[in-house]
Amino acid sequence: MDEIKWGLIGPLLALQALLAVIGLISLGKAERTRGPKWLWVIILIFGNLLGSVAYFTVGRKDN
Amino acid sequence: MPLLTVANLRKVYGGHTPVDGISFEIEAGKCVALLGPNGAGKTTTLRMLAGLLKPTSGQISFDGSPGGDYRKRIGYLPQSPAFYNWMSGQEYVVFAAKLCGISSKEAAGLAADVLEHVGLRDAGRRKIAGYSGGMKQRLGLAQALIHRPRLLLLDEPVSALDPIGRREVMELLRGIREETTVIFSTHVLHDAEEICDDIILMNQGLIAEHGALSRLRSQYSIPVIRLTTEREEKAQRWLEDLAHRSFVEQSEVSSGSATLNVKNVELARQIILQEAGSLDIPLLQFEAGSSTLEDLFMKVVGA
Amino acid sequence: MRNMWTLYHKEMLESLRSYKLIWVPVVFIILGIMQPLTTYYMPEILKASGNVPPGMLEGYEMPGSAVVMAQALGQYGTIGMLILVLGVMNSLAGERSSGTVEMLMAKPVAPAAIVSAKWAAQLTVLVMALGLGAAGAAYYTEQLMGPLSWSNLAAAAGLYGLWLLCAVSLTLLFSAWLRGPAAAFLGLLAAAAMSLAHSLLPSQLGWTPASLTAMSAEMMTEGGGFAWGPVLFAGILIVACVAAASLLIRRNQLPE
Repeated sequence: MDEIKWGLIGPLLALQALLAVIGLISLGKAERTRGPKWLWVIILIFGNLLGSVAYFTVGRKDN
Repeated sequence: MPLLTVANLRKVYGGHTPVDGISFEIEAGKCVALLGPNGAGKTTTLRMLAGLLKPTSGQISFDGSPGGDYRKRIGYLPQSPAFYNWMSGQEYVVFAAKLCGISSKEAAGLAADVLEHVGLRDAGRRKIAGYSGGMKQRLGLAQALIHRPRLLLLDEPVSALDPIGRREVMELLRGIREETTVIFSTHVLHDAEEICDDIILMNQGLIAEHGALSRLRSQYSIPVIRLTTEREEKAQRWLEDLAHRSFVEQSEVSSGSATLNVKNVELARQIILQEAGSLDIPLLQFEAGSSTLEDLFMKVVGA
Repeated sequence: MRNMWTLYHKEMLESLRSYKLIWVPVVFIILGIMQPLTTYYMPEILKASGNVPPGMLEGYEMPGSAVVMAQALGQYGTIGMLILVLGVMNSLAGERSSGTVEMLMAKPVAPAAIVSAKWAAQLTVLVMALGLGAAGAAYYTEQLMGPLSWSNLAAAAGLYGLWLLCAVSLTLLFSAWLRGPAAAFLGLLAAAAMSLAHSLLPSQLGWTPASLTAMSAEMMTEGGGFAWGPVLFAGILIVACVAAASLLIRRNQLPE
């Protein structure tokens, strides 16, 4: 393992970013969230995988 | 043959009995109000008619056949209709149509018609999440009408609406009742009188009174004369004098007005109007032979 | 049957609009490819974290590709299951509490059609997520560790998916008569209890669906170890859950 294999790590980072972007789009459209929206923005941007999962599972209020 | 026949319908829930043995028939083409105070058993009755609740005992016959699943031929609108807010109004109506066995192609056409009918043509493309209470109620009517049901069951369709929403829905119902048989529940007598032929008055799970509105109105109307005059001493003395005439059975006189229960409206009217003329009484209002359904309603309800 | 298709279509449309159809598979892919990546870079990670006892890094031996792949599938047993269970918890409970089920049931629709359509939609999400996740993990494993048997992988992923489907079906059942969070809690509890019982009495409880995870790992690493018992019982459990949920939703459909 002489060097970092960006060809493999790159897609991982891209998927993480994709998840955060989808979360932000969804947050923008959501009428109601559990907790303040700005907090979810921070969680989505800096919270990595678990932050995004937390938003999608418990962050939104249905209907 | 009646469209709907209900015999000894009963529902027991744990300790109490919201519907305690009711029987009635509904002819095709009628508009019937299920009238009663909150807790009278109206919603439970409608839910049993809609096939959502299994009766504890008793029988419902639709179109002559007892039992059976007739949900395809009825439309039902619950008291507070809940929709999928992520759908558009148009999508919901198409969804409802497909569930009734209508093909997608046909459903799209029917949805456009019915949305136009309830005044949601332009709003149909928007998400239901943004609808007002009146719009949701009209969408509820649209989903109940989409498959051209023979019987429409509406649970308190206007109770939760503001005056404008109420007016819109009442106007729609006036049109709908020309095309299909309607049963709707309400706790407001005025709503029933506005559009219905028949009323079924329920209280504590039982039918207290049932029949054509016109028959009930004459049956329960006591000959009454109501008078209002200017507040003058002369007029007041005359009103008090009237209360002691032989043709008056019961009276209630306050300053400037009187309510007289009389034996014979025609005779009483003649005498009173003549006297008012000859004595030069400053009459403001005169009303004869009023209906007292409201009184009947209040008596049944026990308020 | 046509009603079921209409209801299934509605469920899938909701999954799409709520982005569930995208985010769940993406999370599964990330979980899957993280396992081979962290395994591959483990020495670097340990070195970077400092205070590693001397000599430990020299003894580090890269596990074989099949072992890493089995571990990747194992990732879905925790966070993966949690995501799926949280995704199903409101499917029936939400329709009951909001009241949407009342108008649904006033249409000529069988309760079994409603429940089956929801179950099928959950299955679709599960298959997409697990399929893409396992494929991603396998690709990374092959790139970093070495070749894999794709037929073993397919069998192993299928067995693991069946176990996840058991947890999803149990949650769906609880969702027919409890509130969403309670349904999720009981669903996870039931799955955990089955796993615990199985790990305590592996020989007596070898027939339970809980042994599917071990069977999946063995299938991946050894290419064998298949037994009909757990598969059959998982099938029975799933069918029973859907049937019971249909009966319950008929009774619990109305808001008081």
